[in-house]
Amino acid sequence: MTLIHIKDLTKHFRILNRHEGLKGAVRDLFSGDYRTVKAVDGISFDIEPGEIVGYIGPNGAGKSTTIKMMTGILKPSAGVLQVNGLVPYDNRMRQAMIMGVVFGQRTQLWWDLPVIESFKILKEIYKVDQKMFDEHLGMFNELVGLKALYTQQARTLSLGQRMLCDIAASFLHNPQVVFLDEPTIGLDVSVKAKIRGLILELNGTRNTTIILTTHDLGDVEALCRRIIIIDKGKILYDGDIKKVNALFGAYRTLKLQIKDYAEATRTALQNGLAGKFGAEHGITIAQTEDCWTDVTIDQARTPLADVLAFVMTNFPVEDVRIVEISMENVVRKVYDGALQ
Amino acid sequence: MRGYLAFMRGAMLVGVVYRLGFLFTILGNIVYMIIAYFLWRSIYAGKETLNGLTFDQALLYIALGSTIFILLKTYTDWGMAEEIRSGTISVYLTKPIDYQLYNLFGTIGFASTTILTVTLPTVIMLLFVFRIHFALGWGYLFFPVSLILAFIINFNLDYAVGLSAFYTESIWGISTTKEIIVSVLSGALLPLQFFPAAVQQVLMVLPFQAMFFTPLMMVTKPDQQAGVFLQMLVVQALWAAVTYAASRLFYNQAIKVLRVAGG
Repeated sequence: MTLIHIKDLTKHFRILNRHEGLKGAVRDLFSGDYRTVKAVDGISFDIEPGEIVGYIGPNGAGKSTTIKMMTGILKPSAGVLQVNGLVPYDNRMRQAMIMGVVFGQRTQLWWDLPVIESFKILKEIYKVDQKMFDEHLGMFNELVGLKALYTQQARTLSLGQRMLCDIAASFLHNPQVVFLDEPTIGLDVSVKAKIRGLILELNGTRNTTIILTTHDLGDVEALCRRIIIIDKGKILYDGDIKKVNALFGAYRTLKLQIKDYAEATRTALQNGLAGKFGAEHGITIAQTEDCWTDVTIDQARTPLADVLAFVMTNFPVEDVRIVEISMENVVRKVYDGALQ
Repeated sequence: MRGYLAFMRGAMLVGVVYRLGFLFTILGNIVYMIIAYFLWRSIYAGKETLNGLTFDQALLYIALGSTIFILLKTYTDWGMAEEIRSGTISVYLTKPIDYQLYNLFGTIGFASTTILTVTLPTVIMLLFVFRIHFALGWGYLFFPVSLILAFIINFNLDYAVGLSAFYTESIWGISTTKEIIVSVLSGALLPLQFFPAAVQQVLMVLPFQAMFFTPLMMVTKPDQQAGVFLQMLVVQALWAAVTYAASRLFYNQAIKVLRVAGG
């Protein structure tokens, strides 16, 4: 049975056009000058139980708005939205029992209380029995070693610790579906890895459906089998991660800082790469304003290591960085028809 | 239900965290009572009763009034406004809880720490330092119930003020206005007997008197017939129900701002 059913879902916001300055602010008090923003503009998809779906897109794409509709906070302007056969907005209390939600930017832990007290409060409101509660906490402790944090006040936790506790809290009542809105935002690599491991484990052992919004393509690569890309309120792509993976997973950008860079250096670099790897090398070169030379490489065609070796031996390179392709670039490539 | 009791317990724990704050509240209340003591002694200079109240009754009224004022000052509206303004309210909306009851029980939890740390010390001081004579009567039996009803009415007002954060960036003005209106019209600052008769009549049909004047009368004039107190409780209960329903309706309206227009 389909867990989440969405058809032509739309959310429009009416926003007051605000004017500049004091005079404008006074004018705004009486203004009827609204514009409509189509945050979500007719999207459709179905999600089956046990799936991990990456719901991605650039800033302002409509990700959070969709999540807020699915969790029953926002009322859709139009369209069909059912979670477990019910409309979330009309059955908020009932739906909340089968859902877990983590908003990366906020916490559900009580700020001034030790973490364990927050867990106890959640245990009561979700009517979790003591045996299950102990089992859950034991399991989280095994997976990520939470026990040491239980007696700390939530506000004394680091961002990563807090997020681990928040995720643990959202799974406490063994929900059917968990929404994770930017769970790894602002975290360092080792904590990200821990969180990804935790999510995979929970999905594997409990078959919990997980909907993940993120900026971080690393999250998507590590966790999702299916990916939905949204931009400007519309779905650009919905399907297997492999296809997208081939697109952005293959690309890496080599950032170089070359000593005494001049226009000639760039020409030399271009010609050198063409000479070494042939015309169909899948390499593009761009110069950023802060003196980095970006060499974007399609690893399917040319191994990154070879390019790096070539550049290092032939140019006076001062500094090197390797970055993954950004979300904005993925969306641009999808627009350009890369997935057709 | 047990979930809401958990909120209450949580709020009590939070309340205890801020231990130092209580000391200052008690200190402030003591200073206020000392000032009130001398002020009212000079008002009563040479007179046995004023507007039907003896000096002891008036002092008890004022001292207990300020203590209840502290008890009812739970900052619920400020907490809510912060949650609404920052969007943290989304977290609660994804949980199977009723926002009004969640806040009510949290407020009860907070207030119960105030009872232990502020109210009890004050009452002890009234008994042993100011040596006020308490008359005997039915009133004491009704007082706790009356206080609970006053608490609920006060909460409903606070809750409505907090909800106004859906419409405005800052509730400072609304909250301050509410506080002034309540402290004057409820009889928290001055016994209602000291108002002109016409004003008294108007005040008696408003909900504010049920927040301070009613419970305070039960203690300052406890030697009336039980029926009189019972009638007072009925009026209070009606106001508690009316304000509860009204603030719930207001919530249903205010939440639309978030749900339709976005957070």
